[in-house]
Amino acid sequence: MKSFSRTTFLLAACLLGLAVSCKKDPGPEDSTPFDKGAMLTNIADNIIIPAIDDFSTKINALESDYLQFQADRSSVNLETVRESWKAAYLSWQAVKIFDFGPVRDNGFKGATGTFPTDTVKIEDNVAAGSYNLGSVANADAIGLPALDFLLYRVNALSYFVGNDPYTTYGLDVIQKMRSELTTVQSAWTGYRATFIAATGTSTTSAFSELINEFNRDYELAKNAKVGIPIGKQSLEIQLPEYIEARQSGFSFELLRESVHQIYLLYFGCDFNTGAAGLGFDDYLNQLDRTDLSATIGTNFQNILNKIDSFSGTLEEEMATNVSGLDELYNLLQGQVVYLKTDMTSAFGVLITYQDNDGD
Amino acid sequence: MLFGVSRFMLKGWVKTLYIDPQYYFGYLGFEWVKPLEGSLMYLPFILMLIAALCIIFGLFYRIAAFTFFLCFTYVELLDKSNYLNHYYFVSLMSFLMMLVPANRAFSLDTRLFPNIRRSTTDQWHIGILKFQLAVVYVFAGIAKLNSDWLLDAQPLKTWLQAHHNLPLVGEWMQQDWLAYAFSWAGCLYDLFIVFFLLSNRLRSYAYFFVVFFHFVTWYLFPIGVFPWVMIFSTLIFFSTDFHERMLRRLRSLFRAKETSAPRAITSGGKRTITSFLLTVYICIQLLIPFRYVLYPGDLFWNEEGFRFSWRVMLMHKEGYATFYLYDKETGRESEINNAKFLTRTQEDQMATQPDMIIQYARILKEHYDGKVLHYGDQKFLIEDPAIYAKIYVSLNGRPSQLFVDKNVDLSLLPYNLKHREWVQPFEE
Repeated sequence: MKSFSRTTFLLAACLLGLAVSCKKDPGPEDSTPFDKGAMLTNIADNIIIPAIDDFSTKINALESDYLQFQADRSSVNLETVRESWKAAYLSWQAVKIFDFGPVRDNGFKGATGTFPTDTVKIEDNVAAGSYNLGSVANADAIGLPALDFLLYRVNALSYFVGNDPYTTYGLDVIQKMRSELTTVQSAWTGYRATFIAATGTSTTSAFSELINEFNRDYELAKNAKVGIPIGKQSLEIQLPEYIEARQSGFSFELLRESVHQIYLLYFGCDFNTGAAGLGFDDYLNQLDRTDLSATIGTNFQNILNKIDSFSGTLEEEMATNVSGLDELYNLLQGQVVYLKTDMTSAFGVLITYQDNDGD
Repeated sequence: MLFGVSRFMLKGWVKTLYIDPQYYFGYLGFEWVKPLEGSLMYLPFILMLIAALCIIFGLFYRIAAFTFFLCFTYVELLDKSNYLNHYYFVSLMSFLMMLVPANRAFSLDTRLFPNIRRSTTDQWHIGILKFQLAVVYVFAGIAKLNSDWLLDAQPLKTWLQAHHNLPLVGEWMQQDWLAYAFSWAGCLYDLFIVFFLLSNRLRSYAYFFVVFFHFVTWYLFPIGVFPWVMIFSTLIFFSTDFHERMLRRLRSLFRAKETSAPRAITSGGKRTITSFLLTVYICIQLLIPFRYVLYPGDLFWNEEGFRFSWRVMLMHKEGYATFYLYDKETGRESEINNAKFLTRTQEDQMATQPDMIIQYARILKEHYDGKVLHYGDQKFLIEDPAIYAKIYVSLNGRPSQLFVDKNVDLSLLPYNLKHREWVQPFEE
């Protein structure tokens, strides 16, 4: 795992650079009224669609690298697959926010990112030789987390060598994601018009779904990536088996990227260039809630800084730095109330999935 | 009603609201009302459909009205997370319809049982329905006489700005003057519309406003069938002549031969029991909305005496609630994943309503008490746990404030109508 520390550092530095580059000038606000439709267009064209395209590029690279590895199961080729898997997993942190429209219709979030993965189920599937990866039962034996186990378990290479069914399982997992992603990607071309037109606040409008999923994804990052492993839901007993990407030890990088993508969406930053655009912060400013929008921005910065302060993997920190992780969790927790309660109610959006009869 | 019930079933709400949840938030004193097992829950809805059809055609009217009232009220009593003023209104109206003989003309019952045919009906039969509508409007108007509504134009300011992408009128939606205009106009409308409807001279103009007002609210806000219910209900204010004309037109459609028409008359007989019961009903209706004066503190914040009071579209409340299970034996605590116990609607409603917070704390205690929890290789026998919560709430666009602090074992609190001191005080 040590060999990754340089890439880790470089990556973190890049991300930090991005974060800084997207910070907005607090210059004079122009007086034209805020336009939610324009914000949704920015989010669709400069964030969601590029993020899906980027993930698609990364998954295609993963597939071709894996095919090469399947033909020649060398440690060099395994290393290439690992690198492209990691790139795809990081790219996924942006796409997973948008669990509505085509992503939800295709059950893509659950199929791609469910963890912890069930290693016994994976081995059983391989041993059986035939499996339906789309079945509900296999939801935790597929996706990017399943590959964490296959690619990074102890002596990973030795399991692939001379074991075709095992190697095929990995390919099947990748190709399942690729084919679903193709569906999602082309569905978004059609859904774009619906999305940018749905500016309403009824619970089924795309804007409400965006806000709801933004909140849900943030809470998921807080709970699944940090809270549950460090014991917040288990009487303070740590649960290392719930750590995301436990085998590869990339949990912190995934957490950081997840929070960072949520942060970039909040500021409406272009996915590729990082250039600032219309985001939730602009909407809050328009509603005379500059205090709130500033607080949320500062909180995000504090969370990202805190994540950067850890030098070990999440599992290592859990063994040695319980109080540091508690501080991180409290920072994450403290932000929820601003996003879920203050921001959402300022927008006049209802935090509920149920389309109700109103009152 | 027919439309409402069909809509409810078609949208799959029977399943999401009354079959899927694991727990239900019953009303104080009505916790014994439980949902039926699984798909049996569709039964009351099917009965309501049939009953609504029967009421429309005037077939077995009394039984149908009674069935409708019973089924509708039963469903409403199951879970207060789904409380809506207009459901309460439908319950009351169907209760009243059960009592008035609306099957004495232009109905299938008169064909089956010709001897019940009457062309006239007692004044109170129509009067009580008018009274009920008046209560809804006037109290909705009185409820709007508060500083958030009149001085800050909240929550309308929040709700209206969200519509700034509407064609033509969109750019007004972000303007403060519009929010104030809507707030004041809505308040005046609610307070006075009934009196205009009662006036023979102004009635048709007033009805124009009724239609306009409810159409606007239907267009802008997610309020479901309520506008339609009110638009059609208020027709009761029109004179009997008006209704006769409409019926004559309908009759010609059905080629019916009836020519006699119902006409309201003042009852001559002494009906002391009826008038006594009517007085009781009227008094209850007039007093319930005012029960909030018995409680100290802010009505919107504490929600003591809030329901059943025609406080329609009055506040925008959003909350974030984290519940904790505390094991007294080991001093350890766990955060509760609310989604494991509640639907999102329930969680959303619970987070801002103190009585539901107590109910939820009790659900949690009952669930964990006596349970053995396994985490890793450790085992905990949970006995008599404490339930704490940290809850933040934002009211009408204000920054969020602490609503419930983590220092009260919520599972030990009494669930009654007394003032709840454990809710943090509201600060302007």
